[in-house]
Amino acid sequence: MDFLRPIFESGRIDFKGQRLASSMTTTLLSLSGVAAFCVGLSMQQLSACFYTYAAGVVLTYLAVLLPWPFFRRAPMVWLARSSSSSKPAKPRPVDSPNEARNAFVEDVSDDGDTY
Amino acid sequence: MYNFLQRLGGITSFAMSTLMALLVVISLTTPFLPSNPTHEVTLHDVRTTTGRMVDPADRTSRTSEYARLTFDVDADLTSMFNWNTKLLFAYITADYESPGFDTNRVVIWDRIIRTKRQAKLRLRKHHNKYFLRNYAKTFDGVANANLTLHINPVPYVGIMYDKPMVAIPLTIPRAEKARA
Repeated sequence: MDFLRPIFESGRIDFKGQRLASSMTTTLLSLSGVAAFCVGLSMQQLSACFYTYAAGVVLTYLAVLLPWPFFRRAPMVWLARSSSSSKPAKPRPVDSPNEARNAFVEDVSDDGDTY
Repeated sequence: MYNFLQRLGGITSFAMSTLMALLVVISLTTPFLPSNPTHEVTLHDVRTTTGRMVDPADRTSRTSEYARLTFDVDADLTSMFNWNTKLLFAYITADYESPGFDTNRVVIWDRIIRTKRQAKLRLRKHHNKYFLRNYAKTFDGVANANLTLHINPVPYVGIMYDKPMVAIPLTIPRAEKARA
């Protein structure tokens, strides 16, 4: 299933966008639940209630799943690499966890800066 | 929420939780919906006889006293159909006290009502669908008998409950052959 990985792991958004996406899902799904109850109660039809809820869920999917531009308004600004001045430091062997905190690690992300 | 799959999982799980909350709210608000059903039961005739319990032609089976009733029902139950009603189960029971047992209840007639058109009951001189027979095989010592119409609304989402509607007194005469 490795050929599906580029599809499923795409659509990255920045941190402010992630917070916006999370709050959008909460409000949109709660509102669609409340609207579904009101529509069903007024029309006295249980099917109307669940159809409006399904429509609300589809609307939430469309609004939040795709990486719209308003999720990417505040991209992360990484500091420039300081490798122009010195060679990249070798990872020194450390003896204790306290020293490991001070050891220099070049790149923390597992796939580089694919932002 | 940083990539497509994460957002898909997050939205779907919260949607399922909200759906559960919606179902709970529907089932909790259903008993408070207004309904005003009209109901009336009149009793015409009660006759008692003795007969064999299992097989009328088998002379080795036990005999017991059976009561047969004739009754009328006039009811309009259309207002009990709300958005959460799947069907109405209407049944008539005979409740009485007998020596040794404080409450006895025998269901003698029932009907499943699925649509609003079937909810207007107008029965004339119906017989009981099921046998009215005491557990002790005779009606000896049976007192305070009542005939009660019950309605069970069966919801799509929620808890079934029982609504006793109207109770009229009933006297069960003893059969002539069983006077002991």
